[in-house]
Amino acid sequence: MSKFVERPRYVCALGGAVGTLKVLPRTIPILHAATGCGGNVALALNQAAGYLGSGYCAGQALPSTNTSEREIVFGGEDRLTEQIENTIKLIDGDLYFVITGCMVEMIGDDIKNSIKKFDGGNVQVIGAETGGFHGNYYKGYEIVLKTLFRDFVEKKAVKDSRLVNLWGVVPIQDVFWKGNIALIKDLLNKLGYRVNTFFGDGETLDNLRNSAAASLNIVVSDTFGVEAAQVFEEVHGVPYITVPFPIGDHGSEIFLRQVGSALGIANAFVEKVIKREQGYYYSYFERLADVYSDLDLQRYTVVVGDSNYTQALTRFLADDLGWLPELVVVTDFLTDEQQDTVRSNFAGYESGIEPELVFDTDASNVGKYIAWHWGQSGAQKYFEGFNPGFILGSAIERDVAEKLGVPQLTVTYPISNRVVLDRGYAGYSGALRLTEDILSTLVGSR
Amino acid sequence: MDYIREKTPPVREDRLGACMAFGGSCCELSSKSKKGCLYSNNRTFSQSQGCQLTLSLAILNTIRDSVIIVHSPIGCGASLVAQAGISKGFQKLRDPNAFGLRWINTNLDEMDVINGGEEKLRSAILYADREYRPSAIIVMNSCVPALIGDDIDTIIEELQKQVTARVVPVHCEGFKTKIQATAYDAVYHGILRHLVGAELYEDQDPIIPDEFEELKEKYRISHTVNLLNVSSMSRIDEQELVKLLQSLDLNVRILPCYAHPDDFADSYEAALNVSICATHDDYFSEHMKTKYGVPFILKTIPIGIANTSKWLLDIAKFFGIEERAQKLIDSEVRELNAVLTPYREFLKGKTALLGGGEIRILTTAELLHNLGLEILGLRGFHFDRYGEALLDDLIAEIPASERAIINIGTGQPFEQANLLEKLKPDVFVGHPGGNGWANKQGIPVFPLFGQTYNYMGYVGVFEVARRLTRSLKNTSYSRNLVKHAQLPYRKDWYDQDPFSYIDQDAAL
Repeated sequence: MSKFVERPRYVCALGGAVGTLKVLPRTIPILHAATGCGGNVALALNQAAGYLGSGYCAGQALPSTNTSEREIVFGGEDRLTEQIENTIKLIDGDLYFVITGCMVEMIGDDIKNSIKKFDGGNVQVIGAETGGFHGNYYKGYEIVLKTLFRDFVEKKAVKDSRLVNLWGVVPIQDVFWKGNIALIKDLLNKLGYRVNTFFGDGETLDNLRNSAAASLNIVVSDTFGVEAAQVFEEVHGVPYITVPFPIGDHGSEIFLRQVGSALGIANAFVEKVIKREQGYYYSYFERLADVYSDLDLQRYTVVVGDSNYTQALTRFLADDLGWLPELVVVTDFLTDEQQDTVRSNFAGYESGIEPELVFDTDASNVGKYIAWHWGQSGAQKYFEGFNPGFILGSAIERDVAEKLGVPQLTVTYPISNRVVLDRGYAGYSGALRLTEDILSTLVGSR
Repeated sequence: MDYIREKTPPVREDRLGACMAFGGSCCELSSKSKKGCLYSNNRTFSQSQGCQLTLSLAILNTIRDSVIIVHSPIGCGASLVAQAGISKGFQKLRDPNAFGLRWINTNLDEMDVINGGEEKLRSAILYADREYRPSAIIVMNSCVPALIGDDIDTIIEELQKQVTARVVPVHCEGFKTKIQATAYDAVYHGILRHLVGAELYEDQDPIIPDEFEELKEKYRISHTVNLLNVSSMSRIDEQELVKLLQSLDLNVRILPCYAHPDDFADSYEAALNVSICATHDDYFSEHMKTKYGVPFILKTIPIGIANTSKWLLDIAKFFGIEERAQKLIDSEVRELNAVLTPYREFLKGKTALLGGGEIRILTTAELLHNLGLEILGLRGFHFDRYGEALLDDLIAEIPASERAIINIGTGQPFEQANLLEKLKPDVFVGHPGGNGWANKQGIPVFPLFGQTYNYMGYVGVFEVARRLTRSLKNTSYSRNLVKHAQLPYRKDWYDQDPFSYIDQDAAL
């Protein structure tokens, strides 16, 4: 049985569905939910995600039936049909996607009855049940992708051997998704492949519509989007692999080799790409030699966040930057099986670092784990503690950082103390941005 | 008014006959309101709005030394995620040792929908008490537990015997009302039932009675007012209002935002409740009068010269010190008018559309008119008898304002976009959350309120004039946006009646 969550760092499945759809090009989400669901998640999707903004047709503009007592008693299907009809009349989109909140599911409204009235019309209307009680943001992301793959992606008999699809970088919940998608896409371009990411710059709904022509689906996550990949394979016959989200040289090497091997690319070519990227990466990394050594910038580090980010950040800190990320708190809802998979990504570090890995959804516990891991000072004369320390987590960790008097950088959701546009941390050049941000935090407070 | 014995407060549709779907002229709205034929709350196309749970948090997330428990699936109270890590500063302005935001979501899932979520709520309350030792634990009930029948009041009654914190239930289920402002009633209902009243706390009678001390205390109470603040105002606003009240030798107790839970206990020991917003406070003020005999002032909000002066005179009248207040007003207004001249020159003849809460927009419209702007239209979140009174004042005070357009609806930026396209004002003065859309249409924006800026009292008039002038000095940002950003509405929408989707037939 699940438990309560103290200061959760995600919204519900409905929020995940809204978030995923609001950044899909020219897609109009239509909410069939209680009055307030739309307004409620809007704040979390905007202000807690580096000030993303309302988008094309979300925030207060998000079409919603605003279901209230009358519909709860008499049923809300007629109201939904009316709302879909008028949304199409008023809002300019290419795909209309109905999503539901808890209440309308509990009273037994069937959105299919409303949706099917628009079959054969000028525009396509699809839908899915995304009520908040099904799970958190990631669940909503998963449900939306599955529905799109089943009901929107066109069947393709002929596959393009140079085309792949990529997902698993979860828009908004990964606040740097836009930058990260561009950076990973760039790495795959360098391997000689074209990539559909559905949410990336310069893509349209056609990238998604025609994505069944791809020869491989790459899920950049061991936890998010995997069920959707299974659906894609089942419906369209495209196989998939899962690879850990890469940040920095060591992470990106693993990524490129795994993808290279799945695509049957010659090892020598993959190694050549890696070598070229390393050349660029370390030409900047070496600039830091003076300040890194003169100021002794190595830090003990706690990493707090989702399973995608924490493994990537920890590997970057341990194996690229030479820091001591000895404690990691993964805050996702995960099954035991998923926890095992996630755990495997925290092993085999070249630096020999073996971080203590905990799975905990409650924000207050981060401070307790720090105390257990490094011990608490009893004002002894000789004391080995969390010093010099650094916290890499979300805006929620600002409290514990302030309490312990250690510097902190906000990189995992929620991010309410930074503005994020096209910045990304993935791959090689993304890791340079991360290095800039981490070390600027240290030198900026001198 | 006496709903306090009930577990839950009534919704505003029923209690105030509040309306949230109207489009027409100010004159038309005023006359329809008087005839009692404003009952439309539905649209055949609608956009997202908040619910009473979301708005309840606007007050509740300011209460110091407390823990909020949102009893719901994981997404309700999502605005708290956006506040995490940044809201502590505002609490610290009132108490340097404030903790910042602490909340728990009971994370109701598919199993709980079938089996009930009471166990999770119990464990959350016990955890909150043990982990934080807070003064209050505020339990917010949401749609799902209301529908599955979780009995939160009984759980709280049971657990109150086991925990040290005062546990306060707030019934703010979103589906029950479309009038978001019902939230304020839900919050005050919880506060009135569980935090107000010294009998709820331990006996604090002095060991040795002292008649002189008692007399002094009585005198102090007879000169104490409760200033009922709103979370949309800033600490600077509060300081300006406190300064004015103190000039009249009144003691000021500030409630409810940023208060400590204990501050409510003896809040009935006051001569007068001074509201600055009827939308916010009528439920609390009326109940304090019924239950404790504390009278109240509720008419207007101290925004703009006219309404600040009215507000002060109302208070002074109660204490019989009108002459003194008039002197204060005269001297403040003289000083203010002298410094406003250059801003009035700059702003003269500029046009504005306003959007937000009924009380706030109607008084801000008067302020802007006083600075020389022309009011082309108003958009109110909802409308009730408190708005009607202020609307009539506005119509009486501003020539030709009865012909100005007024649109009632919470959010609904499609109507706003249509109006802005037709009216093309020089500035849109809007409630945060809907302003970006105006910017994308190339219209400069001045936010209707801000938690770090001054809008209220006499200094607030100067600050609004100064900042509005600044905003209009360089409008390149919105001019760039209009060339490159796109709103989602089809082109023909702008040729249609902005109120086409208001459902005129729908009675309640």
